[in-house]
Amino acid sequence: MTTKLMTGNEALAWGAVHAGVKVVTGYPGTPSTGALTSLLKMKPPGVYVEWSVNEKVALEVAAGAAWAGQRALCTMKMSGLNVCYDSLISVAYSGVLGGLVVYVADDPGVNAGMPEQDSRGFAIMADLPMLEPASADEIYRLTQTAFGLSQDSRSPVFIRLVTANADAFAPVDLNDDPPAWPEREAVLTHDIERFTKAGAAICTAQHRDLIARLEQAGRWIADAGLNTLTLGKQGGLGVVAAGITTAYLTEGFETAARYGFVPEDSSVLQIKAVHPFPVAEAQALLRRCGTILVLEELEPHLETGFYVEAQRQGLSPTIVGKLNGQFSRLGEYGVRQVVEGLGAALGLSLPHDLFAGSDEAETMAAARPITVCAGCPHRGTFMAINAAVRKAGFKKNQVMVTGDIGCTILGMNPPFNAVWTEVAMGAALGLAEGYVHAGVESPVIATVGDSTFYHAGIPALINAVQHQVPVTLIIMDNGWTSMTGMQVDPGTSEDYQQPGDRPLDLAKIVPALGVEQFWVVDPFRVDDMAQTLKAALELPGVKVLLARQECVMPASRRGDRAGHTTVIDENCNLCRLCINLTGCPAITLGEAAIEIDSSLCYGCGLCAATCNRDAIRVEATEEVVG
Amino acid sequence: MNNYDIYLVGVGGQGVLTIGEIIMVAAFQKGHSVNFYPTKGMAQRGGFVKAQLRISRDPAGAGIPEKGADLVISTEVSETLKAVRFIKPGGDVVLLAYVSAPTDVMIGKAPYPTLEAVAEQVRRAGARLTVIAPDSLPSFEGAPVPDNIFTLGAAVAHTRLGELLDPASVETTVRTRWKRGIERNLFALSAGLQSTP
Ligand code: SF4
Ligand code: SF4
Repeated sequence: MTTKLMTGNEALAWGAVHAGVKVVTGYPGTPSTGALTSLLKMKPPGVYVEWSVNEKVALEVAAGAAWAGQRALCTMKMSGLNVCYDSLISVAYSGVLGGLVVYVADDPGVNAGMPEQDSRGFAIMADLPMLEPASADEIYRLTQTAFGLSQDSRSPVFIRLVTANADAFAPVDLNDDPPAWPEREAVLTHDIERFTKAGAAICTAQHRDLIARLEQAGRWIADAGLNTLTLGKQGGLGVVAAGITTAYLTEGFETAARYGFVPEDSSVLQIKAVHPFPVAEAQALLRRCGTILVLEELEPHLETGFYVEAQRQGLSPTIVGKLNGQFSRLGEYGVRQVVEGLGAALGLSLPHDLFAGSDEAETMAAARPITVCAGCPHRGTFMAINAAVRKAGFKKNQVMVTGDIGCTILGMNPPFNAVWTEVAMGAALGLAEGYVHAGVESPVIATVGDSTFYHAGIPALINAVQHQVPVTLIIMDNGWTSMTGMQVDPGTSEDYQQPGDRPLDLAKIVPALGVEQFWVVDPFRVDDMAQTLKAALELPGVKVLLARQECVMPASRRGDRAGHTTVIDENCNLCRLCINLTGCPAITLGEAAIEIDSSLCYGCGLCAATCNRDAIRVEATEEVVG
Repeated sequence: MNNYDIYLVGVGGQGVLTIGEIIMVAAFQKGHSVNFYPTKGMAQRGGFVKAQLRISRDPAGAGIPEKGADLVISTEVSETLKAVRFIKPGGDVVLLAYVSAPTDVMIGKAPYPTLEAVAEQVRRAGARLTVIAPDSLPSFEGAPVPDNIFTLGAAVAHTRLGELLDPASVETTVRTRWKRGIERNLFALSAGLQSTP
């Protein structure tokens, strides 16, 4: 055994490899991204790993592999689970032959943006078991357990992490001598009763089997002792903690002990398998304790289960949780919730400010809206949108610009304030079409990134073409899935694709979808792009601009630069136009002239184009531009 | 359970997470249990970054409670304010006093707190403040030293972190972290260790 420091995501990757995984698919999404990234780096022999085009396809690829008898892992953030859920429910009805583990990462406290949804609700709705490890070491071990459970119960199994364990580093005891998994042949099973949904008889039978599999999984979980119950004094307090909250129990108990809490008197149920509900353990706890404290982040799923079990037992315990108003359904939980929960359940007198630091300081901090990187091509697109709207004779508040997911959404922030909405992957264009049908008479613009367009934007474009909706779509093609840390997407250059993979070209795809008004533009040439966009806004029908320049992060890691800038100090009168229009983080105000940080500047030339006193000069690097 | 909790704040690209990673590795190698929870937000530079580092006897959950941090390390004046809630009374704050002005501040549209105002908030939270002026840093072979590593050295020298980690173990970690530029990093570390508060 070797103890190594790694993130929960990496521990999950190791767990999958040591459980004999054969196929791994996923789509990037904070905080789940690191699992598949780790596997791409590890390159475990005999394991196929891909970033799929979206989570639905990822799930289908993984399910196909599991139906052929292999062990497969599919990774995503909670938003991705929403995307693949249609297929997942069907696969759940059919069950699996090999093993299928679906890793979903939730983000309580919203560290990365997007809804604070609790994916445990999906496990309940799909009748699929869900495991929820707390520490990185548990993640490593429970991932292996999940594959065993999946294979034995013939059911897909969820493993759910949250940001605080997916992205946190902690020690993991890695097995130096993992079991050697023999090469398994793929099997073909022809069984329409299991693998199709043709008719009521088949679906009803599958539903019955699904429920039976969940019950079987429940027995498997009980036999494996995944949920641990330690009983304390009869009539003492019962503490229930699930997943990440179990990591705070020891510390919370020690703190509360200073205020009269007696840990030995309490019974503690630590839940690592959150679905199916651990009925037997809950009953034992209810028989022992008159008051139950339930610690779980987000929704009161387990807490509700306790009310149900208490009712079935004819008991009426006091349950301290969200439903009695003690805890919030928002945010991350920690030591504070453990201690304050114990305080409320036992009537301890805790100092009122035990965990309450002053929040006055934070209100004094300078607001720091995120903007795109220095040299980001999206900056040019946002500037071109604003310029084109003006040139077309409209005010900014007259032209709807829908936004999508990823770095392209940063156009909503100053100085651009260009983008109005953010919904879901690929949602910008459908939303824009709705504004048109609603009767908006000014032009409607939709913006989307390349990865997002591949992911879920293409159907909306097909819809716009079929129904001939007068709308302008700007695809901001920077060749990468950038916001999650630069993953390869279907359009990324061949140099970065996996061996044998082949990149696609949006310039060929868009016209092939029936778009007749189509332009490829360079977002670093703002005036040209604005001119083209203005002309497009004035035309009827579907118009698409493909704004192409690579994301600067990978480009500058390669040492590429679009050009080199020089500030001509005597020409600069500190009018700040360049800062106001570009908001580029490489530009700062100096004493007598603006200054450009040459370590940040990519030489995109956008600032130079805004200056009407010739104070910034850019010399293009030939190979990169054009 | 003898926790030593460190809350780190700064803006992207300053290397504040690197400080946390080095302390994490050094503490782990000394046999402590560690948990390091960085939140970097997005891929872009210039956004708010924070990290929570917990050094303990037994494994601990990732989150530091309010008023729980023994040490705050900040690499940006204004961002320090976001850590004030987490300072344990009697704890330490080490501030590398860079000002990274957001665009609205630069063009005079938004306020930015003074160093004195930040110091006052830290004092009210009951912590001891060590300020490192960025222009006071030494240079190595004509180039400025890596300021984050200097700050790490200063934190080891002037706070209780030094009771947990001896300079030698930090030095070993720094030595094994980089393939190139070891000399300038070691120089920065020892300059930080020898700095006067
Ligand atoms: S990561 Fe790439 S796409 Fe995102 S802001 Fe930076 S340059 Fe732009
Ligand atoms: S050329 Fe101007 S706008 Fe472009 S990265 Fe450099 S400073 Fe920023």
